[in-house]
Amino acid sequence: MLEIRAVNACYGKIQALWDVCLEVREAEIIALVGSNGAGKTTLLHIISGMLHPVSGSVTFLGRQIDNLPPHSIVELGISHVPEGGRVFPDMTARENLEMGAYPSRAWKHRVKTIEQVYQIFPRLKEREKQLARTLSGGEHQMLAIGRALMSKPKLCLFDEPSYGLAPLLVAEIFRTIQSLRDQGITVLLIEQNVRHTLEIADRAYVLENGRVCMEGDCAELLQSDHVKKAYLGL
Amino acid sequence: MLVTFLDIVIAGLLLGGLYALIAMGLSLQYGVARVLNISHGEFIMLGALTTWAFYTAFDINPLAALAICGPLAFILGFIIHRTLYKRLLNSSGSLALFEGNSMLASFGLMFIVQNLALMFWGPEIRGYSYLAFPVDLAGAVFGANRLVTLGFAILIGLTFYFFLTRTRIGKAIRAAAQDPAAAGIMGVDINNVLAICFGLGAAMAAIAGMLISMSYPVHTGMGLEYTIIAIIVVVLGGLGSIPGSFIGGLLLGLIGSIVTYFEPGLALAAYYVIFILLLLVKPTGLMGKS
Ligand SMILES: Nc1ncnc2c1ncn2[C@@H]1O[C@H](COP(=O)(O)OP(=O)(O)O)[C@@H](O)[C@H]1O
Ligand SMILES: [Mg+2]
Repeated sequence: MLEIRAVNACYGKIQALWDVCLEVREAEIIALVGSNGAGKTTLLHIISGMLHPVSGSVTFLGRQIDNLPPHSIVELGISHVPEGGRVFPDMTARENLEMGAYPSRAWKHRVKTIEQVYQIFPRLKEREKQLARTLSGGEHQMLAIGRALMSKPKLCLFDEPSYGLAPLLVAEIFRTIQSLRDQGITVLLIEQNVRHTLEIADRAYVLENGRVCMEGDCAELLQSDHVKKAYLGL
Repeated sequence: MLVTFLDIVIAGLLLGGLYALIAMGLSLQYGVARVLNISHGEFIMLGALTTWAFYTAFDINPLAALAICGPLAFILGFIIHRTLYKRLLNSSGSLALFEGNSMLASFGLMFIVQNLALMFWGPEIRGYSYLAFPVDLAGAVFGANRLVTLGFAILIGLTFYFFLTRTRIGKAIRAAAQDPAAAGIMGVDINNVLAICFGLGAAMAAIAGMLISMSYPVHTGMGLEYTIIAIIVVVLGGLGSIPGSFIGGLLLGLIGSIVTYFEPGLALAAYYVIFILLLLVKPTGLMGKS
């Protein structure tokens, strides 16, 4: 469904991605792991149009998207839970969810979709009239995830959705992500918690210094010496 | 004594309503579109002189001129953003550089608009008389045109508040003000929203100019003073806060009215003093965030 071919990306003169290739098939959970500064966030920015590649291509459902602006890419069915959530601090939780339904095809159904999000995260319903800046860390992340679901995406990109959360909440976020696949939403997931991520994902890519250095089924990667040493602390 | 006090307060609110309107327009342009628009006052001047021209040449009611000036200014502002500022934004690289570049560009725009208007209308001071009959408010007497001005400022302020909080595009504007990149991945066409904000700011300036022309003499060089007042109010209220601009405008109007009561020539000087004190003591303004 998503195909990234030989993408190079730069911030000014600094190159952050080198010849990255990656493929996501329908109804998969794909994990993207790598240490800090490896280029994971940059790759998600390339997919959602926040950064345009210097060379290479990104195609989604057979359509080239690497030259499109972010708002056109959301329209096509990709949504993004950005690093740190990036909810709108001076809007209420409910207004944040409404913003997620901004594309016109989703706006019409926003009231119904909000109810569906409240079923996944009942806490958000209790907090719906509160400004996002007053929410706790966990509620903040739930809001960011809920907001991304509001556009009824076909592919959802997650950038460290459980960062800084208590273990109980981390487990809840992982369960939610797994349940998305059952609803037919394809997932590309970046996580710090490598073991847990490889356990729920189908396939994974390992990024190091802006390059894909390993890829394959999660079960295989969990057995690999390099992954064990570098990411699982064994 | 009481009547004098009431006199000052009501006069302050009348002036403040106008300031609020001007500042809300600039707040959209600076707080959301990041253009510290030095040419803001020129749109006020255009609104004022067009209204004057319509009234004296074609006998068109100034309040009806609003229906022409407002949309025209919106379109003009929208086009200016789409052609000039959007390009600057793309070529500037960073937002900090863009703020500097766009301010310089707006300086240039100020001279262009002012000189074109000067060629067209000349430097004479103009005025007309409309709704100038006195109205007695609990002993204090005001021109009806001043009260209409205040009414309009409040009406536009409220309409605008509902627009921002209740409509889809209004919410997109608030989201873009808080985090433009995040608004983009929600599906908001940022360039479009910024151009709309710039256009709305220009429309508010033109409407303010129309209201000013009903109570004060107008001329092609009148713009800059209002630009400066708008900047002071926007900083007073807190950068990017529309309610802050509204309240800051009313507050500065009250201050202006009190100072004018004691020494009419010192109002503008008092604004500068407040501006400098504010920058020293609370640079984030009344309702701004750090
Ligand atoms: N806005 C930016 N400007 C300049 N360099 C950046 C920027 N964002 C990221 N980088 C650099 O690009 C590299 C990859 O960063 P990032 O994609 O955020 O890594 P990760 O998400 O894997 O931690 C890092 O070396 C980082 O310093
Ligand atoms: Mg990152």
